[in-house]
Amino acid sequence: MIENGMNRRDFLKVLGWGGAAVALTGCGNTSVEDGKELITSYVEATDYMIPSIGVYFNSTCAQCDAGCGIMGRVREGRVLKLEGNADSVINHGKMCALGQAGVQAHYNPDRVRDPLLRSGSKGEAITWEKALGLINEKLGGAKGDEIAFLTGGMSGHTKALLGNYLEALGGAKHYAYDVTAPAVVRAANKKAYGVEMPHLRLDKAKAIVSFGADFLGAWVSPVHFSQQYARFRKGENGQRGVLVQVESKMTLTGANADRWLAVRPGTEGVLALGVINALGAAGLYLSEDVKSLVKDYAPERVSKETGAPAEQIGKLAALLKERSPSLAIAGSAVEGYAHGSQIAAAVALLNQVLGNVGKTIEAPANVPFQQLAPAATGRAALVALNDALAAGKVKVLFTYGANPVYSASSAMKFKDNMKKAAFKVAFAHYLDETALEADLVLPLDSALEDWGTFVPAYAGDVAQLGVQQPLMEKLHANTRGAGDILLALLKQKEADKYKGFEDYYAYLRTAVVQNKAALGGAGADDDTFWGETLSKGLVKFGAAGGSLSGKVSAADVALPAAAAADAQFPLTLIPYVTPNQRDGRHANQPWLQEAPDPLTTVVWDSWVEIHPKKAAELGIVEGDIVEVTSKHGSIKAQAYVFPGIHPEAVSVPMGYGHEAMGRYAKDVGANVLSILDPVADKVTGETALNETRVKIAKAGKRVIVVKEEGAAGGKQMGKKIAVRVSTDKVDLSEEV
Amino acid sequence: MHRFLRLSVLLIGLFVATGSHAAETAPALTTADDLGPQVEQPIEFPHDRHAGDASKGGMQINCMYCHTYARRSASSGIPPLQKCIGCHQNIESVKDKPRIKKLFEYWEAKKPVPWKKVHDLPDYVRFSHERHVQRFVFQQGRPVQEACGYCHGDVKNMTVARRSKPLSMGWCADCHQKDHPVDGAAAAKTAKGPNDCWQCHK
Amino acid sequence: MSVTNLLENWSQFRKSHPEGDVPHAEYKWAMSIDLDACTGCNACSVACYAENNLPVVGKEKFLHGQQMHWMRVERYWDEDGRDFPDQGAQFLPMMCQQCEAAPCETVCPVGATNHTADGLNSQVYNRCVGSRYCSANCPFKVRYFNWYDYPTTDDVWPAEMSQQLNPDVTVRGKGVMEKCTFCVQRLSAAKNTARNEGRSVKDGEVQTACQQACPTGAISFGNLMDTESRVYKQWKNQRVELDKEEQAKDKEEGGSKLRGYRILEDLRAYPSVMYLERVRESAV
Repeated sequence: MIENGMNRRDFLKVLGWGGAAVALTGCGNTSVEDGKELITSYVEATDYMIPSIGVYFNSTCAQCDAGCGIMGRVREGRVLKLEGNADSVINHGKMCALGQAGVQAHYNPDRVRDPLLRSGSKGEAITWEKALGLINEKLGGAKGDEIAFLTGGMSGHTKALLGNYLEALGGAKHYAYDVTAPAVVRAANKKAYGVEMPHLRLDKAKAIVSFGADFLGAWVSPVHFSQQYARFRKGENGQRGVLVQVESKMTLTGANADRWLAVRPGTEGVLALGVINALGAAGLYLSEDVKSLVKDYAPERVSKETGAPAEQIGKLAALLKERSPSLAIAGSAVEGYAHGSQIAAAVALLNQVLGNVGKTIEAPANVPFQQLAPAATGRAALVALNDALAAGKVKVLFTYGANPVYSASSAMKFKDNMKKAAFKVAFAHYLDETALEADLVLPLDSALEDWGTFVPAYAGDVAQLGVQQPLMEKLHANTRGAGDILLALLKQKEADKYKGFEDYYAYLRTAVVQNKAALGGAGADDDTFWGETLSKGLVKFGAAGGSLSGKVSAADVALPAAAAADAQFPLTLIPYVTPNQRDGRHANQPWLQEAPDPLTTVVWDSWVEIHPKKAAELGIVEGDIVEVTSKHGSIKAQAYVFPGIHPEAVSVPMGYGHEAMGRYAKDVGANVLSILDPVADKVTGETALNETRVKIAKAGKRVIVVKEEGAAGGKQMGKKIAVRVSTDKVDLSEEV
Repeated sequence: MHRFLRLSVLLIGLFVATGSHAAETAPALTTADDLGPQVEQPIEFPHDRHAGDASKGGMQINCMYCHTYARRSASSGIPPLQKCIGCHQNIESVKDKPRIKKLFEYWEAKKPVPWKKVHDLPDYVRFSHERHVQRFVFQQGRPVQEACGYCHGDVKNMTVARRSKPLSMGWCADCHQKDHPVDGAAAAKTAKGPNDCWQCHK
Repeated sequence: MSVTNLLENWSQFRKSHPEGDVPHAEYKWAMSIDLDACTGCNACSVACYAENNLPVVGKEKFLHGQQMHWMRVERYWDEDGRDFPDQGAQFLPMMCQQCEAAPCETVCPVGATNHTADGLNSQVYNRCVGSRYCSANCPFKVRYFNWYDYPTTDDVWPAEMSQQLNPDVTVRGKGVMEKCTFCVQRLSAAKNTARNEGRSVKDGEVQTACQQACPTGAISFGNLMDTESRVYKQWKNQRVELDKEEQAKDKEEGGSKLRGYRILEDLRAYPSVMYLERVRESAV
């Protein structure tokens, strides 16, 4: 169907937008008209291009690192809607809200359209030749280790090209940075199971206890986990899986739990050990070292320390003992605290004690080509870069897919440190905060215009290489793909090696076709294999995982004593990763701003979640503008009195408070990341997100919170609207 | 205010339509006429030369040879320029005629011809060419020119197409209310067109 | 007509289909939504924005209640005064319930909202004069009014954003009412294909946008007239009957152990959406 990229782009070329292609308001043309509108035809058309019939092309979603397969509905040369690709092992044809909004990243009116060179405080449009020449010139004055490349999550051939480029530059450094990355979880998993991301079999578990892992909302691969969750809930023979969520601030997953245990911030590990203790008391075999580790964690003490009812700890232990195999998942609690690695070890120990390793925790599929495997992102990378910048060790800084000027805490002084780099180049879709600080901005193709390959951040049982391909002609003539830019830069350094590749497409095609044997295309003709790959939008590696090797021992767990109360900053600040906004990179997609936060139903603004008791104590009511002050600054936002948060904590969502990034993102809410204390996990050095202590005070003003809750304040008024039934009153075994 | 004006237009359309309602058993379906304005096109395309009867110098080309999307899609579209060139590059005799020269100019510039829409329904109407062609041409076996002619009139005798039917809701509904045979066999099953609002309104 | 007569012979007076129409001969579109699978993630709602050209109204208009989400996810908390909602929240995807005896239809002064033979509650935009009676009469509050002319409002579809609009769905202008259509443009396309092939639409052949996106597969959609359809089987299995305002199973002593129900059934609107109760473990 598709012969090569250039043809493909030609196929998608539509030669005008007039006539039937553009939907007008139903009140625009209200009667039969003659000769008013143009009807534009194709100059050349292929068989499958039929006016008014949508054709679907497969690609890969670039809205987060989960790597879901997507298919774009293309009509008259425009991509209208994205659906899931049913063949993808990640999402099996399903989509999340973020993925749906991918079209708004593409059609966004605030995209950068030309290379921009700083001229005072303005950007001046220049040609690509000049831009690339300038980079070459500036790189000439820098040694390899004086060049830094800061990116977000990266994988596939773009990452491989970047690696080659860094090498060609004489060992330039790659910093892979993502605020929301499960970096501590990965490090702890590596220790406990021998792999960074084991294959979690939610579908096989009969009970799940999650320590703040928002796997239905924003954690790692939500669409994938949601499908497993659906199977877990269906269970076998009507025995439905039971979910218990342990956290201080209710996440979307917490809101779906059978039991939501609110614990004092940072005591998740204590609860895990308490459950092991209770399991031992209930007769589960514990080795001697584990026994001695947990002997002090009797329900009463654990209850006192965590705030969870002692009775619930016993019930949870009984449930986990009875419903085997179960699964304990370590999530945002682990990313949150200086002792995060310890919490993860305690959770791993719980899994080990319950015998879940090998049953619901399996070895993931291998990604055979490490060059393509996802870069290990984290927050420590930004700290390292910031230190290098502050020390004046970076002369040329590239940024791509990361917005540290927005997301770094003000304590890091990143913006000031960035100025110390003599030449800063931003690969950018939009003029975000970081791009505004750059000396040169390179405008990127959107994810729906570009070529690329992706390896999902979470592999599951089958490794998959997602292929990204243009779904339509470029909207703006002067943007370029990240791969094309890297290739052009590589040609400056190693012309001989790369001269055979006219563009990134040619490189990608050669790379994939050359290795077709490993990609399941042994013996196939090159063109056929490539055509099929593009048609499917993905290739499966098919490499089965091995077995798990690591082991956690009681000696690995050393929980600190409960933190002393802080009189000046009495509350723990929990920056919340919302399913819609994540780390703020989607703030300029209006559907996601208008889609209510599932729990608070707030739209178009930040909010501060306060428990009703705490709010009453402080005299705060919903809509009060409150000032949240940490050691490193303060933000103001509307208060939302929220029952799903521990009274000793307040929570503010990430992703709001942009000072740039276009009309939909700018000046919406406040940026919680800017006031974080720079505390790191003691083992991994990753910034701990929940270690910021704050105080809150009313700032005087009161507003009406704009939310979806409805006139009745989200109350059912005694009617049978959203009904809940307990398992003993229902028979699920005969359900269709 | 314009809503009420529109309603009266619809009513007049309905009235005109019912006027020609008498001969339900006649072999060919006829519908009310309402001549639209003459639309000026970038190239004065002679439908009569292409589709007209041989006796009048036409080539009797099937409508669907060029309007190939009509049987496969809601929108009949306009044939790609490629299609015109496909024949005309081999017809030496007319190559130096001004209209054909213009055609080749578009082709060489790889630019579509900016045709004006002659039959333009309101934007809130969902009309499927495919369904009508499938029903009347393929399932019922009506001649193509007759089936297309229900709505487009006698195009084979026109040069540039001109609207000759009202295309109003009353006019559509008039036809939908009649019992039409479902397939070619006479006196076999008949059915009316759908009368849901949402069948045609989107 | 006495009130007793009216109440006893309700179905005679409360007509759900136009006179002379043959209702549900071939299709009766219906849904079933498993609240135990629904996680409240909002994918359905955003998918609906993408499919149906819904305008983003922005903060100020949202504050005035002028948001336009045909598919919204409602969130409820327990109302028993506990410190924490320790059994989670309750989510409810709410969209037009396509009532068989729709309260909105009878009050429209211009007949802009009607019942189709497929059991849908149609809204004809160019007929609507914006009286908003239908919205006032809708028990589910799922009808949305265009207070502004969004196609010409800045920042709703600026510049390239308008190229995303789905040509199969009208972009509504100022002063008309709109609501969920069960993605009628998809249904029409599927029915046309089926008719061309001389058959009925098969189960699974057509999906609504919300159903297609839903990561947990909580939404089923299909033809209640087709005994092979998943929706038919679910309704039957849960013993929920379309044309009853009270289900027999609810009167059984000790409960039926089934979890299918329709919202505000006693209002006799006969909704076409069945919900399955959310389940919570009694052991923890």
